[in-house]
Amino acid sequence: MSSPRIVAAVEIGTSKIAVLLGRLDGSTKVDIVGHSLSTSKGVKKGEIRDLRAVSDCVHSALSSAAGKYHIDEVYLALSGRHLEGNFNVGTATVSDAASRVRQIDVNQAIADAKRRELPENRSYIHHIQNPFCLDGKVVDSPLEQQGQRLEVGYWSVHADTPLIRNYLRVIGGYGMEVNDIVISSLASGNILAEEVEKDAGVLVIDIGGGTTDWVLYRGGFVVRTGVVSVGGDHITNDLCAGLRTGQKRAEQIKVEHGRAFHDREDRNEKIWLVGDYTIGDKEFPKSAATQIIEARVTEIFEIVKAEIKKADFYKVDDIASGVILTGGTARLEGLEQVAERVLGLSVRLADFEPGLDAELRRPEYTTVIGVLDYARVDQDRVDQSNDGMGILNGLMNVLGIQRKEASY
Amino acid sequence: MENVPHNGTELEASIRVRVIGLGGGGSNVLAGIDRDRYPHVEYLAVNTDSQALAHSPLTHKVLLGQNITRGLGAGGDFEIGRQVVEADRAELEALVAEVDLLILVTGLGGGTGTAAALLLAELATQTEATVLAFTTQPFTFEGARRREISDAALADLREKVHGLIPVPNDLLLQETEEDDTALSAFAVADKWIGKGIHSLCAMLFETGIINQDFSALRNLLQRRGGKTIFAIGAGKDEDFVKDALSQLCDCPLLHATERPSRMDRILLHLVVGSEMGLAKIQEVVTSISEQFDSSKEIIVGAVMDSRFAKSLEICLIAKVEIEPTATTSDNAGLRNGREPMETIGSLGLENANMEANPKPVVHVSKLIGKKKKEANEDQDEFLFVDLEAQRGYFEQTDQNLYNNEDLDVPTFLRRGIKIKLK
Repeated sequence: MSSPRIVAAVEIGTSKIAVLLGRLDGSTKVDIVGHSLSTSKGVKKGEIRDLRAVSDCVHSALSSAAGKYHIDEVYLALSGRHLEGNFNVGTATVSDAASRVRQIDVNQAIADAKRRELPENRSYIHHIQNPFCLDGKVVDSPLEQQGQRLEVGYWSVHADTPLIRNYLRVIGGYGMEVNDIVISSLASGNILAEEVEKDAGVLVIDIGGGTTDWVLYRGGFVVRTGVVSVGGDHITNDLCAGLRTGQKRAEQIKVEHGRAFHDREDRNEKIWLVGDYTIGDKEFPKSAATQIIEARVTEIFEIVKAEIKKADFYKVDDIASGVILTGGTARLEGLEQVAERVLGLSVRLADFEPGLDAELRRPEYTTVIGVLDYARVDQDRVDQSNDGMGILNGLMNVLGIQRKEASY
Repeated sequence: MENVPHNGTELEASIRVRVIGLGGGGSNVLAGIDRDRYPHVEYLAVNTDSQALAHSPLTHKVLLGQNITRGLGAGGDFEIGRQVVEADRAELEALVAEVDLLILVTGLGGGTGTAAALLLAELATQTEATVLAFTTQPFTFEGARRREISDAALADLREKVHGLIPVPNDLLLQETEEDDTALSAFAVADKWIGKGIHSLCAMLFETGIINQDFSALRNLLQRRGGKTIFAIGAGKDEDFVKDALSQLCDCPLLHATERPSRMDRILLHLVVGSEMGLAKIQEVVTSISEQFDSSKEIIVGAVMDSRFAKSLEICLIAKVEIEPTATTSDNAGLRNGREPMETIGSLGLENANMEANPKPVVHVSKLIGKKKKEANEDQDEFLFVDLEAQRGYFEQTDQNLYNNEDLDVPTFLRRGIKIKLK
C-alpha cells in the first residue's frame, strides 16, 4: 500500500448531512481527521428533491470537514425507499472427476447467482454473499471439499439509477468522484454489531429523519436489508397534525417532551402548545403527544417485523443477539421498550466505540463511521482483486460517467 | 344581528350565492344548516337517490340520472356517477349559471357527489363565478379504492376551483367522543362545514366596524388552483377570546399537516360582541398573524353582533398560489379591469376603510413571478422544489404506500386513535 489516503465518508440524510474524514494508511487503523454535521436541505424521505439545495449543503459540509486536508476519495451512504433487494441462488455442478470443488466451480456458482438482470433504470449497489452449500450442507469454504452440487446465495441490493445519478452529480459538483456507494443499513450494521452477534443473529435498526434502515445478520452473514421510508420527520409531522401546531414547535415538543410509549400518567401532565404563554397559547395533556408518537413508532417496528417475516427470517432463536437501535430517533425516550414489545426480541441502544472522540459520539455519525470502515476494508479488497469496485464501475458505465483508472 | 343601516346593502344583496350539496354526503350537510339566517343564499341538493332527496328539507332539489339509475342512487360507484352527470349535463350547466359565488359541498370517494362536483367545477370554469368547494375524504378503513378515487378527484378539483377546503374524515373522527362511531364523524363534518358557510355569509352580508365584502373574498382567492386554508373558531362568555383562538387553531378544516408555513394572502373576518373594541380586535389580529405567520397581506373585516357582550367568532381564509399553469391567464381579480395596487397596511387595521366599501385590494403575489423564473432556470425534475419547502411537509413527494396505506399520513389518524387535546 502506497501513501495514506484521505477518504471522506458522506451521508446525505433527510435531516442531517454527516461527513467524516479519515486517513487510511493501509493498516486496520483509521484516523479520523475531520468531521461535520449540518442541517440537510432538499432531501425528503432519504431522496434528493432539490439538487441545488442539496449540493450547496453537501459542498459546504465537505469543505468544513476537510479543513486543511485534500480529499482523495469520497464514499457515499445511500438510503431511500427506492432501494430494493432480491435473493438469488447460483448453482454449479462440480466438474472435477474426483468431485472436488475447484475455483472454477465456485466462480460459476457466483456468476450464476449474479446473473439476474434488472429492469431499466435499476442498478445493483451490492451483491452480498451468503454461505456456500455443498449438496445442501452449509460449508465455510467449499474449495477442495467433496461434493456434487455447489450452491451460493446472494442478497443483491439495487437502486433507482436516476436517483443515484443525482447523488453522483452532487459530489461531482464538488469536483470529486464517488469511489463507492454503501447502503446505510449495511454501514451502520457493520460497525455496530460485534462479530459474535452477527454469528448469533442480530437485527440493526437505524431510525433517521426520513427513513428507517435495517439489516439482519444470521450466521455471520447479511441475510436481508431493508428501508422503511418513515423516520423522525414523520413523528414530527404527526404531532403537527394531532396537536395542530407548526413543524418547528412540533419538533421541539418531540425532543423536549416526546416518549415512544404512552403512559397513563401522561394524561395529567400538561405541556404548553406554543410555549410563549401568550394570548393564543394553551395547554394540552402530554398523553396527546405520547399517544401520537406511540402509534407511529409501533408501526415502524411492525413494518420491519412484517418484512422480516415475509422473508421467512423471523425466528427469535435465530436472532439471538436481539436488536441494536441507532439513528437520531434512537434518542427518543422509551424507544427500546416499544421495539422490545413489538419485535419480541431483546433490544439495546447502540454503544459508541470505546476511544471514539466525544464529538463523534452521536448516533448521526454512526453510518459514516461505518462507511469509513467499509472504505478501509475496501482497500484490502482492491488490493486482492478488482471485485470490490465492479459494481460501481458498472454503474458509472450505465450513467455514462467516465471513471479514471483507480491508482492505488 | 347588527341592524345599523349602511350604504353597502344594495351591493351586497345583489351578490348571488349558491350553495350546492352533492350526493348523499353533501345534501346532508345542507340539511343541517340554518338556511333562514341569510335569505340571499340559495341552497340546493343534487342527488341520484330520489328517496334521500324526498327526505331532504331543502326546497330546491335536483334529481339526476333518472334514465340510468331510476332514482336509486349511484351506489357509491364513481363510474355510474360519471355516466349520470354526463347524461344530465344540461341540468348541471343551469346550476352554475348566473351566480357570483358557488359553494360546492360533497363527500369524495363515492359516485354521485364525486362525479357531480368534478363536472360542476368544470362547467363553472366557463363562467365568472368564484367557486369554493368543501369536500370530505373517506376514512382509511373504507379501503384503498375509495381513497384512490377521492385523491384523484381532489387533485382534479383543486385545479378547477378557486378555493378547496378538504376535510379528511380520519381527522374528524378525532373530534368525536371516545365511544362514538364513524357516523358521528359525519355529523362533525356537517357541523363544521355548516359553520364555515355561515361565517362566509356573515362576511358577505353583514356590515359593521370594518367591512369586507365579496370583492375581498374574490381578490383573496383570485385564481383557480393553489391551496386554500380555512378555519373558524368561536368563543363566548368568560374566556371568549382565548376560546375562540384556541378553537381556530384546533379547527379540523384547517388540516394542519398541509398547512403551509407561508401564505400569500389572509382574509380574517371577525364577528365580535359589543364588549370588544378596536384595541381588542387589534390584539386578536396580531396574535393570529403571529401564529399564521409571514403573509404579505392580511385583510381584516369585523362586524358586531350586539346580541352578545362577550363573544367572538373568527373566520380565517388564506390562499397560497401554486405555480400557475401555462393557461392560467384568467385572474379573477383582474377580470373587472382593475389594476393591481398596493396592499393596505400590514394588518389592515390602520388603513382599513371604516366606511362601507373598502378599496378593493388586488395583489399579485411577488412569490409567483419569482418562483416561475427560478423554475425556468433550473432544468427538469426539480420544478417544485423551493415551493415545496413552504408547504405541508410531505406534499409533492411520492405517496408512501405500504399495504395500501399511505405511511405519510399520521398513523394515529389512519388507525382512528383519538387524541384528547383537553
